[in-house]
Amino acid sequence: MAWLARRFGISFVLIWVVASIVFLAIRFVPGDPAELLLSQGGAAPDPGAVAELREQLGLDRPVWSQYLGDLWRLAHFDLGRSMQDDSPVVEAISRRLPRTLELIAAAALMAVLIGIPAGTAAALRRGRLFDRLASAIAALALAVPIFVVGTLMVMLFAQTLRWVPAGGYVALARDPAQHLLLLAMPAVTIGLGLAAVVFRMTRAAVLDVMLRDYIRTAHAKGVAPSRVLRHHVVRNALMPVVTVLALHMGTLLGGTVLVEYVFNWPGLSGLLVSAVNARDYPEVVGIVLVISILFVGLNLLVDIIYGLIDPRVRR
Amino acid sequence: MNRAPIYGVAIIAALALAVPLLPLPAPVSMDVAHRLAGPSAQHWLGQDEFGRDVLSRLLWGARVSLSVALFSAAIACIVGTAFGVLGGFLRGIVEILTLRAVDVLLCFPPLLLALLVVTLAGPGATTLVPVLALVYLPGFTRVAYAGVLTARSQDYVEAMRVLGAGRLRIMLRTILPNIGGPVLVQISLSTASAVVLESGLSFLGLGVVPPAPSWGLMIGAARATMVQAPLLLLWPCLALTVTILAMNALCDALRDAVDPHPAWKPRLRRTVDALAPGLLPAPAGVLDVRDLTVAIDTPLGTIHPVRNISLYVEAGETLALVGESGSGKSMTSLAISGLLPQAARISSGTIRLSGTDLLRLLEPALRAIRGAAAAMIFQDPSSSLNPVHRIGAQIAEAIRAHRPNADAAAETLSLLRRVGIPDPERRARAYPHELSGGMRQRVMIAIAIANAPSLLIADEPTTALDVTIQAQILTLLADLQRERGIALLFITHSLPVVAEIADRVAVMYAGEIVETGRTADVFGAPKHPYTAALLKSAPDEDGPPPEGIPGIVPAPHALPPGCTFAPRCTHRTPDCDIARPPLADVEPGWQTRCVRWRTV
Repeated sequence: MAWLARRFGISFVLIWVVASIVFLAIRFVPGDPAELLLSQGGAAPDPGAVAELREQLGLDRPVWSQYLGDLWRLAHFDLGRSMQDDSPVVEAISRRLPRTLELIAAAALMAVLIGIPAGTAAALRRGRLFDRLASAIAALALAVPIFVVGTLMVMLFAQTLRWVPAGGYVALARDPAQHLLLLAMPAVTIGLGLAAVVFRMTRAAVLDVMLRDYIRTAHAKGVAPSRVLRHHVVRNALMPVVTVLALHMGTLLGGTVLVEYVFNWPGLSGLLVSAVNARDYPEVVGIVLVISILFVGLNLLVDIIYGLIDPRVRR
Repeated sequence: MNRAPIYGVAIIAALALAVPLLPLPAPVSMDVAHRLAGPSAQHWLGQDEFGRDVLSRLLWGARVSLSVALFSAAIACIVGTAFGVLGGFLRGIVEILTLRAVDVLLCFPPLLLALLVVTLAGPGATTLVPVLALVYLPGFTRVAYAGVLTARSQDYVEAMRVLGAGRLRIMLRTILPNIGGPVLVQISLSTASAVVLESGLSFLGLGVVPPAPSWGLMIGAARATMVQAPLLLLWPCLALTVTILAMNALCDALRDAVDPHPAWKPRLRRTVDALAPGLLPAPAGVLDVRDLTVAIDTPLGTIHPVRNISLYVEAGETLALVGESGSGKSMTSLAISGLLPQAARISSGTIRLSGTDLLRLLEPALRAIRGAAAAMIFQDPSSSLNPVHRIGAQIAEAIRAHRPNADAAAETLSLLRRVGIPDPERRARAYPHELSGGMRQRVMIAIAIANAPSLLIADEPTTALDVTIQAQILTLLADLQRERGIALLFITHSLPVVAEIADRVAVMYAGEIVETGRTADVFGAPKHPYTAALLKSAPDEDGPPPEGIPGIVPAPHALPPGCTFAPRCTHRTPDCDIARPPLADVEPGWQTRCVRWRTV
């Protein structure tokens, strides 16, 4: 259990570093945020208004005091108020975050259900027709950018075939069927690329594990091939797959920006884009922090899963 | 290397470079009267929502996308590689600063990092390049750092340091060329990925600023007119996909070229029709191998790492198969147990186990023999046990594979006790990494004897262990053999071990048996110069200091026409190079493959 405690400790240090970096980036960027915000259309802003905004943002206090204050508020889950409508940033994030997580979870489920069996099958039939075909499809899925897939899917399934709405969101509680229908296209859009990544990783990992000495031992024991595959190959091959999947899911936390935009899915990333466009500093900082913390948390989760799969890590 | 992706990327790059010279309308010249017009003689791909020429915008877009991607990859490469090289070479505080800085960058998902910077600095192509450079910098630092760590421990870098070369010179002269390959791969990966990221940011309106042409912008704009002009959407999607497909293919090809793992084509493992005819004398002993030859198809042609090997082992007897690394002794043992790697196959010969011809059996029947009548122990017990399963479960699996109704748990404990593992109830629940090397090899032996084998093949079972443990394991094997009358094929390169354990010995050299006979006879008065040289090279407490054998074992695709040992032999005559010498009988049961055995 000392292993777990150490992992948690490292994660907290990382979150502290990330928060500090975001703080520094905002404070030391050229130009005063308050002036930048108020100077619309090149006109010099009113000094009174600038001073007021500086006070509101706490920019008039010494830097170290701002820093400690920010950390203190962060520790209490207080991310300040949005500059667009003065609502608490935490509220907006907690409303939007579950929608983005739902999207990622659905995509990851699809990627695992397709990628791992297909990758294992391709490795076992290395060089045969199935392997070549699946590898070619995966290469194509990796080459098409996510917003191109999304846009083409809207054109095909929503505009031409009219099977599904072009986009939007309905709460699960309000209309479960419509909710799932609207979830399908964005989830498949993300899932396709992710499945290709999982496929490639699984294929490579299975090929690698099959050459290991302990697989030879299992064959030397006279164990049936199907059992060797299930008990010896797949479990060891899952390790790198878990890592890659988790890293990609972390990337997706920010990467859903494009998909949410294409399908009009009101998730966290959409909030981020609008915050970026409005130069809403507290909101941008809040979202970046939350996503980075989730990213660090996801890496922690990977380490815990590692420990479950491979006993050697638990030291 | 596959050249198709190179040509693909070259064509796209050439188009992007040549676009100002082509007779195309300016990409920004509008013609609102003909907005969304279809293809025509002047506008091959039609006109967009402002009447601008789509083909022109597509090609100019390639120029923008590729130059942004290339510039950012180049900056990331220069800065990132410098960070990695400095960190790896100077160590200390520099290492901590550069690497930790890069680790922190990796805490942010790439698109998020880009968005954060765009918020702070505002959109536009001038922001885009440093943003993308920042995103791809960590990859270069990691690759360069790893390369430097590997290179700095290598002899030639150490040698240059001893010779007093300056640090900067060592870095520039020796390390940079060595990390060139991985860095090149990283450049291609970053460029391809930067094209995607640039188009995504532009699509969101946070990258290239209109009216400048960019594929991402074109796709974003065409979404609004998707119903009236679907082609407008398809062209940039197609251009982007084809470009990235070509670049990804180039990345894969580069990676393969830099990291050449030989890719062998899979073959059927055993060719039943290539068997020797069954007109053979009655088999001798538990194991009887006749004329075994193993073939491997390589890009350089078919090689035969094992040629015409014949050997037998009787019940209760130990035959030692001795030879240097690469002599083919392990390949022989794998061929006997039917566990040859996919690329290798048995091209001729017979292998009989207690009279059954193993090469005529199909895989399910072979599996019933493997681990039961014939068991194996491998060289490295730490890699031969599955790291994620408890050792008790791994022993029980061997029992259940052949006797599903056995009381595997109880048998596992008695096996552990028999191979000398104290406190078996507790140790059965241990994972391999929790045991010492000697204990792990005892576990491997327990697995091997679980189903009372008549033949035990031990492939260098003591090589990975230290000397005192070696002696214990050898004693254990000898005890078990005596107790159960097992035929033991013992593969090793250690002559003292052979002298201690083997009744008979077969000496292998370059894929052939060069001498075989009773251990006392062969070691007492060797009849092949290689055996003699091998004995002289073995350290002996009382005897003269060991002598090395000059030269190296010939490569399997460049064997000499005559005696394979002739190039290294001190007794060489012209006769030795004419033809391959046959095995000659010294006495019954003692043979040598030397034409001059009477005189040497």
